[in-house]
Amino acid sequence: MEVLFRDFQSANSEQSGPGLAATISPIAPPNYLNRLDAIYKDSNVATISRDVAFGLTKSAHAAIQYPNPEIDTWTEIYSAYWYAVGAILAAEHAEQNASQSDWLRVYMAWKDLSNAIIKAYSSGVLENWTLPVLYMAGKHLRTFAIKADASAGSNGNAIYNSGDLQEDIAGDFDRNKNLEDAARVINRMFTLCISDRAPLEESRKWGLYYMANLQFKTYFKLNSISLCKNVLRAISAGTTDMPNLSVFPKSHIVTFKYYVGVIKFLEEDYAAAEENLLSALRMCHRSATRNVELILAYLVPTRLLTSQLLPSPELLSPYPRLAHLFTPLVYAIRSGSLSDFDSALTEGEPEFVKRRIYLTLERGRDICLRNLLRKVYLASGSDEEGKRRTRIRVDEFGTAIRLGERGVDGESLENDEVECLVANMIYKNLIKGYISRAHGMVVLSKTGAFPGTGI
Amino acid sequence: MSAAADGSGPTTKATVSDSTDSSTLKDQQKPAAALEEDDEFEDFPVDDWAPEDSEVPPGSEGGTTHLWEESWDDDDTSEDFSKQLKEELAKVKGQK
Repeated sequence: MEVLFRDFQSANSEQSGPGLAATISPIAPPNYLNRLDAIYKDSNVATISRDVAFGLTKSAHAAIQYPNPEIDTWTEIYSAYWYAVGAILAAEHAEQNASQSDWLRVYMAWKDLSNAIIKAYSSGVLENWTLPVLYMAGKHLRTFAIKADASAGSNGNAIYNSGDLQEDIAGDFDRNKNLEDAARVINRMFTLCISDRAPLEESRKWGLYYMANLQFKTYFKLNSISLCKNVLRAISAGTTDMPNLSVFPKSHIVTFKYYVGVIKFLEEDYAAAEENLLSALRMCHRSATRNVELILAYLVPTRLLTSQLLPSPELLSPYPRLAHLFTPLVYAIRSGSLSDFDSALTEGEPEFVKRRIYLTLERGRDICLRNLLRKVYLASGSDEEGKRRTRIRVDEFGTAIRLGERGVDGESLENDEVECLVANMIYKNLIKGYISRAHGMVVLSKTGAFPGTGI
Repeated sequence: MSAAADGSGPTTKATVSDSTDSSTLKDQQKPAAALEEDDEFEDFPVDDWAPEDSEVPPGSEGGTTHLWEESWDDDDTSEDFSKQLKEELAKVKGQK
């Protein structure tokens, strides 16, 4: 246990939040793989409190006052940590011997630790430079809860929680019991940060986005994305006395913007989704390939709808999975081949549905159709004055749609069907013009017949 | 054994590292065959970084416009589908 107190002292004298957080890490550092064992075997249930209190006092400054709230608080925290370490070592040991690990016990012990830490903040003993301690507690609380749920599932006959969207409603009532419980604790941590009224330089508000992100991750995992709105509401209610976003660590902000972007995407507020995802992309660490890939998975369908922009091969090439998913769609849209679009969408359907982007991508069919009709217009030639023909026969469009959708030998479309599709295009402002039914003509605007496409 | 150095510990996703060397991160993230199960954002190995280490460093925003292209394509006359379309359109026009 010496190592614990030594690290505690040095983190305190340097006021290093990450250093202090490392003292309660459930993972041994690479340079001291036996750290957890060493801490655990150095005490026992009967003496742990006393051992910790003694260790802390001994290594503290000589002129210490009694009773000392800081010593008392850390005694409680490190005692809880000691119990958690015991549970972790037992679970890992069982895992190595291929027997049943008790992750529920780990979760419960870690929850005790988390509660001790929350108490230490709310009673004002821990200052805001120690916030990484709170992060460490929250982050692992969530992962241990997930492990506890997973092992409960594989243990009994409940369904294993794979994070899948397809859920057996009847069978999984208690499937996420521990994660739901953890969500409540994490919510208290978030409240602890956001409701701190102390002056900014010593406020816990600096932990706000980290905790919000942890909540987002938890709610996404629980598939209760609507709960994220409570978090966003709480934040927007407090923006007046909050530090500007740009002064927070980038890891907090990029993660936050990603989740807000996805939430807005799912609410079909594509303009806000685009804004958030774009700034997440720009600010993201460039070696964090997986995260850039996740941002792009939502940004590509978003931009298709908002700005009608498609990703270039260069943008997707570092991400083979995305390139594989999106490239066929991109080619189909650009060429106006509806049948290629349909088959690309069907081909990628399982992945698209899992990412929740299927419905948005499906709307890209309009852009594909627009490009097809635009080709008809471009191919229609010019009148005597050398101006492009703006009256296109409905059956010319019909031919193009038949070809694009059904191939050369496909069945012809009724003019009514074609008119309906064109009317939709006009309604969606993808085409400017009107249909003259009497003449079987589509009369296109002389300027900007296909808005935003340069003709 | 307390394990966990190789990431097989209690929390494989947790990266407790104060290393600023980002190349190690890249190595860990070899693309798998399919997109992974969920769309959970990963923890960054560092808390904060210099603007120059961002995906789009400040000042180079203009250099990224080519990464997004317009959704239509004007110069595809050689493409099979376009050719076919022209032939078919010529046929309809010929009918009247």
